[in-house]
Amino acid sequence: MSEQEYYIPDGTYWPIIGSIGLTTLFVGFANQMHGAEWGGSVMVLGFAITVFMMFGWFGLVVNESNNGIYNKQVDRSFRWGMSWFIFSEVMFFAAFFGALFYARQLSVPWLGGADNNIFTPDLWNAFSASWHQMAFMAPGSVTDTVLQSGTVMSFPAVPATGIETATPAMVVDPWGLPALNTALLLASGVTLTFAHHALRAGHRNQIVGWLVATIALGVAFLGFQILEYGHAYHDGLKLTSGIYGSTFYMLTGFHGFHVTVGVIMLTVILYRVQKGHFNADNHFGFEGVAWYWHFVDVVWLGLFIFVYWL
Amino acid sequence: MTEVVIVLIIIAILVALGFGLIGMVKGGKAGSDKMFKSLVLRVSLSVFLFLLVLFAGYMGWIEPNVVMFDAPVAPAPVQK
Amino acid sequence: MTTATASHDDHHHGPEKGLMRWIKTTNHKDIGSLYLWFAFTMLLVGGAFAMGIRAELLQPGLQLMEPQFFNQLTTMHGLIMVFGAIMPAFVGLGNWLIPMMIGAPDMALPRMNNWSFWILPFAGGILLSTFFMEGGAPAFGWTFYAPLSTTFAPDSTDFFIFAIHLLGFSSIMGAINIIATVLNMRAPEMKLMDMPLFVWTWLITSFLLIGAMPVLAGAVTMMLTDRNFGTAFFDATGGGDPVLFQHIFWFFGHPEVYIMILPAFGVVSHIIPTFARKPLFGYSSMVYATASIAFLSYIVWAHHMFLTGMPVAGELYFMYATMLIAVPTGVKVFNWIATMWKGSMTFETPMLWAVSFVFLFTIGGFSGLMLGIVPADIQYHDTYFVVAHFHYVLVTGALWGIIAAVFYWLPKWTGKMYNETLAKIHFWWAVISVNVLFFPQHFLGLAGMPRRIPDYSLQFADFNLISSLGGFAFGASFFLLTYIVIDCIRNGKPASARPWPSAKGLEWTLEPKAQYHSFNKPPSRALIEAESQNS
Repeated sequence: MSEQEYYIPDGTYWPIIGSIGLTTLFVGFANQMHGAEWGGSVMVLGFAITVFMMFGWFGLVVNESNNGIYNKQVDRSFRWGMSWFIFSEVMFFAAFFGALFYARQLSVPWLGGADNNIFTPDLWNAFSASWHQMAFMAPGSVTDTVLQSGTVMSFPAVPATGIETATPAMVVDPWGLPALNTALLLASGVTLTFAHHALRAGHRNQIVGWLVATIALGVAFLGFQILEYGHAYHDGLKLTSGIYGSTFYMLTGFHGFHVTVGVIMLTVILYRVQKGHFNADNHFGFEGVAWYWHFVDVVWLGLFIFVYWL
Repeated sequence: MTEVVIVLIIIAILVALGFGLIGMVKGGKAGSDKMFKSLVLRVSLSVFLFLLVLFAGYMGWIEPNVVMFDAPVAPAPVQK
Repeated sequence: MTTATASHDDHHHGPEKGLMRWIKTTNHKDIGSLYLWFAFTMLLVGGAFAMGIRAELLQPGLQLMEPQFFNQLTTMHGLIMVFGAIMPAFVGLGNWLIPMMIGAPDMALPRMNNWSFWILPFAGGILLSTFFMEGGAPAFGWTFYAPLSTTFAPDSTDFFIFAIHLLGFSSIMGAINIIATVLNMRAPEMKLMDMPLFVWTWLITSFLLIGAMPVLAGAVTMMLTDRNFGTAFFDATGGGDPVLFQHIFWFFGHPEVYIMILPAFGVVSHIIPTFARKPLFGYSSMVYATASIAFLSYIVWAHHMFLTGMPVAGELYFMYATMLIAVPTGVKVFNWIATMWKGSMTFETPMLWAVSFVFLFTIGGFSGLMLGIVPADIQYHDTYFVVAHFHYVLVTGALWGIIAAVFYWLPKWTGKMYNETLAKIHFWWAVISVNVLFFPQHFLGLAGMPRRIPDYSLQFADFNLISSLGGFAFGASFFLLTYIVIDCIRNGKPASARPWPSAKGLEWTLEPKAQYHSFNKPPSRALIEAESQNS
């Protein structure tokens, strides 16, 4: 098919299936959080429909691509689409990094009386603004406080959700598992680069080897991450441990989710490499996934440096 | 000082990653080359940065964020 | 150079039959129509909520509803209008018009286009279903500030959060699609500076959407975990800060208001040259002004927060940065007026809407400047002055742009002409009633009436009465609009391919009712130059 021809794909049912899947997932999730017994199963069902949609839709596109239906213009549209999708991911992580910086540089010092926050000693008996000890005040430890004006203010001692609170003993030590995990993920970036090189040089066996190594490193990373969560949890750092726990788990958690997605995508790419879907000149599927993996890798590097060190 | 260097290297990594993206969007032989070279640069810089952070931590130039604040600690509790 | 729409199946040449056409469609015109009808439905729903609000405010005292229900109405009115009506309407216009304007057969990613529409009815359904839940719909205002939306909100808030997630997916996919379309599907002979301004403004709007919507997704995700999993992002007892929510929200929220107005700027930049019979004054300055507004919109967010606590240096910075936006916006208004200067103007319906847009949007712009001044904002903050301001920019700005676009391009969409007399009656009805509705709210605000209250003290009674009567009249005008559009589709007289003789643009070179796939072969350089606004 020559490049001058426009291509318009056939209609499919996959979009509407995706909408139904996501709606089922969210409705189930919300009801599960509100204590409905059926919520969890509906949520799993919605998740299954969504995954089914993704395999179906991507499978359709891969088939059409292999049948040579697409032209270079379609290929460029996919490239634009992928790049701006990743930019939206960057902005999503930026919101959480922003929350981390704001809490660490502004709100916690302010709560501790930085600048001229004169109310702090009155409102927060025995409060010290250290990063790791940020936790919800234990129940009963905050009492009604009388301001100088005589107004009585009371503060909720526990969040409205009534979840048990905890205070971590200290921040997570960056020398142990986090450093190891950083090394693992960086190594996966290196192996992926070798796979990329092998693909461009047309050495299929080498690609498979390097890809398998990349996937293995990714899986190892996830395993150690779970292990580290266990340690941190044991030491009292929980999602409910105030802003430190919140930012720590949400940032690393969303990152871990992206690593999981990346591992799945790399596995699909491995399968497609073995099926011979790519050649040295035309391998956008590989490039898109590779870039995604590099992005996830850089996010981790940012996490390692900003969450653990600086 | 070390912090500034670290942040600058992170920015350089992001720029390299961005050039990789531009190469990917461009496509074709030239784009593929550009993407690959940028990603090689980004991997190399990342490994260097990781080693730098570990070395700086070992030498005590930077400390894990255990002790965060030079801000004045709140005065001792005042009983009312 | 052989050029034809690739078709490995015969039904590419025309639409399928029945309901499945709309569910499976990959056609930009079908999807554009779906978007526009969905947006119009949501406009009527949100408008019905507004009628409830104005009915309660007709007189002092509580007549019709509990205060809690009033708060639910104001909240859902805002959310439905912003996320359900204005944004989808502009995406619908973009879908319909952009491929025609850039000489393309369709959008770049048609299946994703389908999905970005078909998420919307589900998200809208989830959002509206909160009315029927225990505790009622969200009642914390469309800005959903923490801790009102976290600690003190009903369970239905979690459904609201997921609806926002879905709407965000939809907007991001729509924006990605428009970027890919403009940059990749444009006729090979068309340079960037040949593009019509509606295409330019939508391209820039897409960058705003992709930058802002994920941040909103982050904000509602933090809300979700704060509400259900005990995180402390917005809870000072855990070291977080409710003000953090406002920073994140408005980092999304301020680009969002330009997302809703930039495409309207584009529409007006098409209509005014057509009916002034002069080329657009300062095409390139229009493009650069749009880009400047978009850039500035990312660095002014905290002017919504002058009263929530910020260092003085921050207030000064955000005030000056906000003032700066007046410069590129002023360039645009100047250019529109310079385009009309000494033109041989006629006032067909689209032109009436466009000219009143320039006038009324400028009023909204000026009241925005007043609000951006820190010492003045201390007086205006959270009063009806703010309500008047953002309704002047969103109703007589964004909505006016949409209605102008509908009348201007309706002949191209349907191949038929609407009833000009009825349309003019509708215009004067709407433009008078909308000013009766919103102008007195400036006075109410300056006199100190707070926003989001179901009852008020007696001195506000007269202006509220006038405002409510204007509101009912404005609401009723939409029945006439519905009639005019349906009448045009069913009984309109056939229109010519270029019903406005001095209109420029590739879309007018198509058949009177634009064919199902707009351009099967890219237009020539000569045609593009002849139809360019930049000449």
